[in-house]
Amino acid sequence: MKNRQQGKISLVILLSIISVFIVGCWDSRELSTLSLIAGLGFDLDPATKRATLTYQSIVPSQVKPSPSMGGGEGKQTGSGGLQSIQLDHDTGLSPYEVLNRYTQHGSRIPFYQHTQVIVIGKAAAEHGLYPFLDTVIRNPAGRPNILLAISDNKASDILAVEDGMENIQAVGMANIIKLSARFSKYPAVTCLDFTSRFIGKTTAPVAPIMGVFEETGPEGKRQKKIRINGTAVFKGDKMIGKLNEQESSGLLWVINQIEKGFVIIPEASLEIIGSKTKIIPELTGGKIKITVEIEEEANLIQYNNARNITPDLIHQLEKAQAREIESQVKAVIKKSMALNADIFDFGGAVHRKYKKEWKKMEPRWDDIYPTIEVSVKVKTRLDEIGDINKAIMTE
Amino acid sequence: MKATKKVSPVNLSRKLEDNLKNIKDSLGESSDIIIREMKISSNANVDAAVIYIDGLVDRDLVSRDILQPLMFNLQFIKDKVGQKNSSLLGCIKSSVLTVGQVETTENIDSIISSVMTGQTAMLAEGSIQALVIDTKGWEKRAIESPENEISIRGPKDSFTETLRINTALLRRKIRDPNLSLVSMQIGQRSKTDVVIAYIKGITPDNLIEEIKQRLKRIDTDAILDIGYIEQYIEENPLSLVPTVGTSERPDVVTARMLEGRAAILVDGSPMALTVPFLFVEGFQNPDDYYARPFFASFVRIIRLLGFLLSIYLPGIYVALKSFHPELFPTPLLITVAAAREGHPFPVVLEALLMLILFEILREAGLRLPRSLGQAVSIVGALVIGQAAVSAGLVGAPMVIVVAATAIASFMVVPFADTGALFRLIMTIVAGFLGLFGMIIISLEVLSHLAALRSLGVPYLSPVTPLNTSDLIKDTWLRAPLWALGSRPAFLDPLDKKRQSPDQKPHPPQNNPNERKS
Repeated sequence: MKNRQQGKISLVILLSIISVFIVGCWDSRELSTLSLIAGLGFDLDPATKRATLTYQSIVPSQVKPSPSMGGGEGKQTGSGGLQSIQLDHDTGLSPYEVLNRYTQHGSRIPFYQHTQVIVIGKAAAEHGLYPFLDTVIRNPAGRPNILLAISDNKASDILAVEDGMENIQAVGMANIIKLSARFSKYPAVTCLDFTSRFIGKTTAPVAPIMGVFEETGPEGKRQKKIRINGTAVFKGDKMIGKLNEQESSGLLWVINQIEKGFVIIPEASLEIIGSKTKIIPELTGGKIKITVEIEEEANLIQYNNARNITPDLIHQLEKAQAREIESQVKAVIKKSMALNADIFDFGGAVHRKYKKEWKKMEPRWDDIYPTIEVSVKVKTRLDEIGDINKAIMTE
Repeated sequence: MKATKKVSPVNLSRKLEDNLKNIKDSLGESSDIIIREMKISSNANVDAAVIYIDGLVDRDLVSRDILQPLMFNLQFIKDKVGQKNSSLLGCIKSSVLTVGQVETTENIDSIISSVMTGQTAMLAEGSIQALVIDTKGWEKRAIESPENEISIRGPKDSFTETLRINTALLRRKIRDPNLSLVSMQIGQRSKTDVVIAYIKGITPDNLIEEIKQRLKRIDTDAILDIGYIEQYIEENPLSLVPTVGTSERPDVVTARMLEGRAAILVDGSPMALTVPFLFVEGFQNPDDYYARPFFASFVRIIRLLGFLLSIYLPGIYVALKSFHPELFPTPLLITVAAAREGHPFPVVLEALLMLILFEILREAGLRLPRSLGQAVSIVGALVIGQAAVSAGLVGAPMVIVVAATAIASFMVVPFADTGALFRLIMTIVAGFLGLFGMIIISLEVLSHLAALRSLGVPYLSPVTPLNTSDLIKDTWLRAPLWALGSRPAFLDPLDKKRQSPDQKPHPPQNNPNERKS
C-alpha cells in the first residue's frame, strides 16, 4: 500500500518534470516582442533578379485609441497618415534570404500568423512565383489561407496607399477581396487555392489584380485609393494575361463560385439568390465537347420601364438574364482559349469522367484545350418581383 | 478511549456530606457551579442538595419545577414516604418533580458528566441514589435565515449551534419514524454530541457502518466545529477537492438524505456534513428543484461554464498571449497587442499579481469588521484596479479577465476554495508551458478526480462510471420532478423508487366546464 502510494507520487512528479521538458518557456513569445505583419508584398526586379519584400506591420500602440484618453488624439487614419502601420523593405536574392533580413532592422520578431494579404508585383508575377510560393507554403509559421492579390504595378505601391476605413490597410485590402468575391465580381484566392491549382498540371491559377487609382477628395486633395480591376491568369507560375470585369464574372459562373451579386440587363437589375453550375464533358471520336450548365435564380430589384409586371414580362426578363449570363461566360471562354490557359479546370472534369483516356490527353492538353467545343446552357428563374407588382407610375 | 476509561466508578454513599465533598472535589472551585442545600420533609429533618451549573440550565425550570415543589410539599413528601416503603427519591421522582425527563443514578461520575451537560442533580441524605433532572436551557441563537447558501424560493431556516434544534429541524421536514438519529460523543474533553442522521430503508447499511467506524476512530480532545469531523473522516485527505459535503440548510440536508446519503450533525456547529459528496453536487442548488426545470437546467450549465472559466480563463489568456498569439482572431489580437504595449511585466507575472491581489482583497474583506469590508472593496476594486491600469502596470484586458474570473469563482460555492488553488496552478502552468501544459495538468487532475471516491462512491459519478439515466435526469440538466422516478443509482439506496411513475400532469380528459359545441 505504502509502496503504491510512493509509486504514484513519484509518477506525478515524473509527469510534471517531463511536461516541463517536452514543452517549454523557449516557445514563449510575449506579444510585445512580436511585430505583427498584416500585409506582405513581393516584388522582383526583372533586370537584376533581386527580390524585394515589403512588410506592412501593425504598430499596436497606435491602433486602438483608448476611450479614456479622450477623442482628440484618437483618430489615426486620415490626416495623420500611416501611423497604425509601418512599412519596411528588404532586398535580396531569394525570398527567404529577404525574410531573414528583417531582423537586421526590425526591433521585433516578425509574426506571420495573422497576415491578411500577400500582394505580388506584376513583374514578379510575370517572371514566375515558384520560389516565393514555396517559401510561403513550406514555412509552418505562415498560414496557407492568406489571400493573394496581384498588383498591376509594384506591390510596394499598393501597400503604401493610405486608404480605407480600416486602421490596418491590409485588413481593408483583404476585406475588399472578400467582398468582391461575395458579390461575385472577382475570385478570392488564397495561397492554398493558388497552389493547389498550380499542382494540378493542366489547371491555370488565377488571382485578383489590384490597382491604385487617384481621386480628388474633398478640399481638392488628391487621394490614392485601391480597387480590384481584373483577374490575373497564370500559366504555370507565370502570369500571362488578364480578365476584365465581365470576363471575371464569367469565370465565377463557370467555376460555380457565384454567391450573391447582381445581373444587370438593359431594362432591369436582378439580384442573384442562388446558382449552380455543372461542367459536363463528353468525348466523342477523340474530340472533347464540354457543356456548361448554369441554373440560376434571381429576384427583380429594379425595373426601368413603368410597366406592370406580368407573367409574360417575367418570362422575357428570365430570357434576357440568361442571355446576359451566357455572354459573360462566352467572353471568358473565348479569352481563356486565346490565352490557352485552362482556368475552369475543364481538364479536371475530363479526368474525373474519362480516367483512361486522360492519361493520353494530359501531356497534350495544351494542344487539345483551344480546340474544345464549349456550349453554354443557362436556365434562369425569376423568383420574386419585390414589394410592388404594379408600376408606381403609368406611362 | 484509554483516557476516558474510569479508574473505578465511585458510587454514592449514604452520607450526603461525603457525596457533596466528592462532587466538589471533582468539579473544582468554579464559580458557575451552584450547590443548593436544603431541608425537605415536613419537620425539615432530611438534608438534600441540588447541583447544577448556572448558565447551562433553565433557571425558571429549576426554581419552579424542582426547588418549589420540594420545599412546598413537605407534608406530602412525608406522608408518601411514610405510607409505603418507597424511597424518598423514588417518591420525589414520581410525584413531586414536574419536569419531563428524570433519571436515577448511583454513580458520582455520571452525575458530574450530566451536570456538565446542563442537567440538574438532586441528592438526599440517606440515599445511595441521585436524581438527574433534565433542565438544559441556555441562551441560544434563534433560527435565522441562511447566510451562505442563499435560496430565492426555498425555506429560509438554517441550522443553529444547538444540536437538538438542528435535529428538530430535520424531524420537522421528515415525519417518517424511519428517520434515525444515532448519537455518540466525541472528544475526550469537549465530549461533543455528534448525531448521524439517515433514513432507515433508504441509506445503505454499510454506509452507516462505515461512518460509525470512521467516527469511532476519532480520538482527540475536542471537536469545536464540524470541520474537525470533516477532516478526520475524509477519504482522501491529501486531495485538493472536498469529498465531504456541508450545508447549513435543513432542506438541502433532508433532500440529500432522501437520495440515500447520511448526514452528520455536531453540537455547536451550524453546519451539517453529508456523505457521500460527489462532484456534481457542487453544481446542484436547492433552487434548481424549487423552480421550474428549464431555467434550472440552464443555470446549471451556466454554473459549469462559470466554474471552468474561473479555473481556466486567466490561464488561457496567459497561454494565448505568451505562446499562441496565432489563436486569437486578428482584430482581437490587435486590440490585445495594443493593450499589452508598454507594459513592463510578462503576462504571467501580471496575471499572478492580479490574482493574488484579488485573493488578498477577498480575505481582507472577509475578516474585517463588516463596516470596514465595504471600504476595502472600494479601495481594492476601484483604486487598485483602476490605478494599476492607468499607471501602466497591468493591462486593461487582464483586469477584465481577473474580474470575470473572480465573479465566476463564486458561482459554485463548494468548489470556490479549490477553484482558487487550481486557478493559480493553471496560470503558472500556462505561463511556463502554454496550452499544452494546461492540457497535461488538466488530464492529471481529471484522472485524479476519476480515481477519487467519497465513502466508496466514485467521485465523478454519474459521469464516470457512466449512468446514462442519472446523467440525463439530474446532472447538468434537471428533469422535471415528476420524471425523477428513482433515486440516484450510484448512491445504491435500499429503496430505489422515489415516487410512482406517470405523474406528468395533464389537462382533464373530460372537462365538465368545457363548453359543448
